[in-house]
Order: sequence, then structure tokens, then C-alpha cells
Amino acid sequence: MILAQNIDKYFGDIKAIDNISLEIKKSSVFGLVGTNGAGKSTFLRLLAGILKPDAGKITIGDAPVFENIPVKERFFYISDDQYFFSNCTPLDMRNYYARVYPNFDKPRFDALLKSFDLSPTRKINTFSKGMKKQVSIICAIAAQTDYIFCDETFDGLDPVMRQAVKSLFAADIIERGLTPIIASHNLRELEDICDHVGILHKGGVILSRDLDDIKDNIHKLQCIFQKPLQKEDFPGLDIITLHQRGSLYTIIARGNSDEIAKIISGMDPLFLELLPLSLEELFISETEVFGYDVKKLLV
Amino acid sequence: MINIDYTDRRPLYQQIMEKIENLSVRGILQPDEQLPSVRTMAMDLSINPNTVQRAYMELEKNGVIYSLPGRGSFIARMPQELLNSKREELFGQIEKIAIPAVLLGISKEDFTDRCALLYDKAIDLAKEGHKE
Repeated sequence: MILAQNIDKYFGDIKAIDNISLEIKKSSVFGLVGTNGAGKSTFLRLLAGILKPDAGKITIGDAPVFENIPVKERFFYISDDQYFFSNCTPLDMRNYYARVYPNFDKPRFDALLKSFDLSPTRKINTFSKGMKKQVSIICAIAAQTDYIFCDETFDGLDPVMRQAVKSLFAADIIERGLTPIIASHNLRELEDICDHVGILHKGGVILSRDLDDIKDNIHKLQCIFQKPLQKEDFPGLDIITLHQRGSLYTIIARGNSDEIAKIISGMDPLFLELLPLSLEELFISETEVFGYDVKKLLV
Repeated sequence: MINIDYTDRRPLYQQIMEKIENLSVRGILQPDEQLPSVRTMAMDLSINPNTVQRAYMELEKNGVIYSLPGRGSFIARMPQELLNSKREELFGQIEKIAIPAVLLGISKEDFTDRCALLYDKAIDLAKEGHKE
């Protein structure tokens, strides 16, 4: 389990991380999403022990991560701008990581390289961006670590590769309890693979919950009423956002579908439709509450 | 066996549950037939195994499947309550259509004739579905 408690991180006078506390359980898939500049990459670098938090502590299985080699052997960090030694080949990287990670599985690396159709002896700097990402992912899987931190790793892969990588992760989650932590802007994709989602905004966590709980507990409803209504006219409904266009109300509210339907039906609507919220809509509505609104950007 | 509908907004585990239930109601999955392991299913669909696990757990709770430790999950004899609730759900949908039909002035004969026609068509479609 990874535990971050009250983390602060400053770069000069910029507060990049503002009192973040998160818990990441083993054998689950953790999705990290956030607005641009929210601190996702910084948070991953803190988790990886590359940066030292200015306040608070980060532990992986009860041991602090910064400057702690045995703990660092337990995860593989795929950064957004991946680093390979100059002029090296996938084989060189394999041999390097095999020295760093005690459980590194060389035959698996070779097999994966072959099935991804990547040459083991070609220089990595001649590879395309997506192929470099593939090499990093193969290194990460072969390293047999408990955790893999992916910083926008999926974003450079084609759709077939993404499915392949997701399937590989699925096998390792079952077989040895791998925990992938995935930062991404592709919310549609996170929705398919994550158990748990954390949403960051301006260095803080605005939401961290199980995806199924979120889906069961937040709904979008579209309804039409005969007479105009205000936000206050919906007693008992936990409204996050309410938009009105003519007589059509689009409401995002907390609560399970039966309860919401019961409340609205009691108000005698002309029309009522209840939809589970997609992660994308959830992201927009939750950040809107914190003043991150597309309308403000369109000046 | 199962395809995921990416435009469906419901949680994935609910989709998987519904699809297995339907395959079992239609007799495509027979009682005591073994389901793919969580690992196989997760890898085939490229989804999180915990999602498949959750779907299987809920299905077991509803009595649609049973599991034997170390052997896997199997289709159970379809519980009568589940069949009944599926039927009631369906008739509920017909009720929703019947009301506007009455309001549109469609006669009872027209309505039932058309339903009978669709029913025959559905039988043919179901047969083709079996062949696939």
C-alpha cells in the first residue's frame, strides 16, 4: 500500500502540491487525473522518491521512499519524457535494469520485445516516440515490481497497443498483485481500467474514490418542468451543478438512482431521464465547483 | 462470448453481469457450463481483473453462477426469481409502449397483430444468433 500524508511541495514560491493525502491499495488500478498543472507529474515524482516532499510523508509498505533503495526496487517509474542512455539498444536497457531490479525477468523481456516486434539490437534513438514508450513498458513489466507508475504512458500508444498493454497489466494484476498507477488525460480509457480515481486540481485532491462508487452515487438528470424552478426548489437533492436552458434542466446530483428518481418524480416532471455520469463529465462538474470552467476560458 | 459496449455509460461490471445473465436466460450458456477464468476474461476484454471479479461476485450472490474453490465459476440453474424479475421488467417496458399506442388510437387487433409478427421475427433472429 502507498500512503501519502499531508504532502506539500514548493518550487521556489510556487506551491505545486498542497496538502495531498492519498491512499493507494495493492492489486488495484489507480487512475490519476487532473487539470493541466494540477501536480500529477510532481506527485508521481514524489511517489518515486525523485523529489523530497517539503512537508508530510510518503510511505510504500510502511517505509519512506526518498533515498531508500529497497523500497525503490518495488516500483518502476515510466516518466513522461523517458530517458534512455545515449546510443543504447533495448538489450542494453535490459541489462541495465536487470542489475537494478533483483526480480528482473530477462526471458520475459525478450519474449515481449519479440511479440511487440521491436528489434533488440536497434538503437533506441532511432525508434519512434510510440516505440520508445513500448520499450519503457516492456522494461517495466519485465522488472516484476509491485507498482508501476505511468505518467501519460498510454497517450503515445496506438489503440491496438493500448489494448495489449492493458491485457498484460490485467495478467500481472491477477498473478502477482501488480498495482499500476496511471496518470492520463484519456478519461474514457481510465474509466475502463481503473478501480479508483483521484482527481487533482491546483495541487490538491478534490476527489479520491472507487470508480464504481462514484458511478453509483453521481447521476446526471435531464428533466422538464412546467413551471420555472431554482436550485432551492429541489429539497433533498444534493446538487453539484444545475444548468437550465429554457424549460430543460440538466442537473448533476449525488445520490443513488432510485432516490433521485423518487425525489424528481414527486415533483411531477413532464420528462425525466437519468444517466450515469461518464468520468469526463464527472471531471468537468467536479472541477467546475472549484472554479475551473470552460466558459471562463472562452473570453 | 462477451463484447463491451463502450458507449454504454453504466459501470463495466454491470454490463458483464447483464450479458452473462442474458446468455444464461437464453440457454446459450447451459447450467454447469464453466465460465472463463477471471484472468482469461480480463485479458480478452483488456479490462481490469477486479472488474471481472466484481461481476462474478455479484452474479454468485444473485445465484446466476456458482464457484468451486480452485476449479472456477460455473453457470447455475437459472433461479426462478431472476427469470420472473426479467419477465416483469420486460412486461413493464411493453406497458410503457401500450399507453401511447392507446393514445394514438391504435386498435387492440393492430397492436397484437404487429406484436405477433415481431415475435415470429424475433424467433428467427434468435435461431440465427444460436448458430453464430
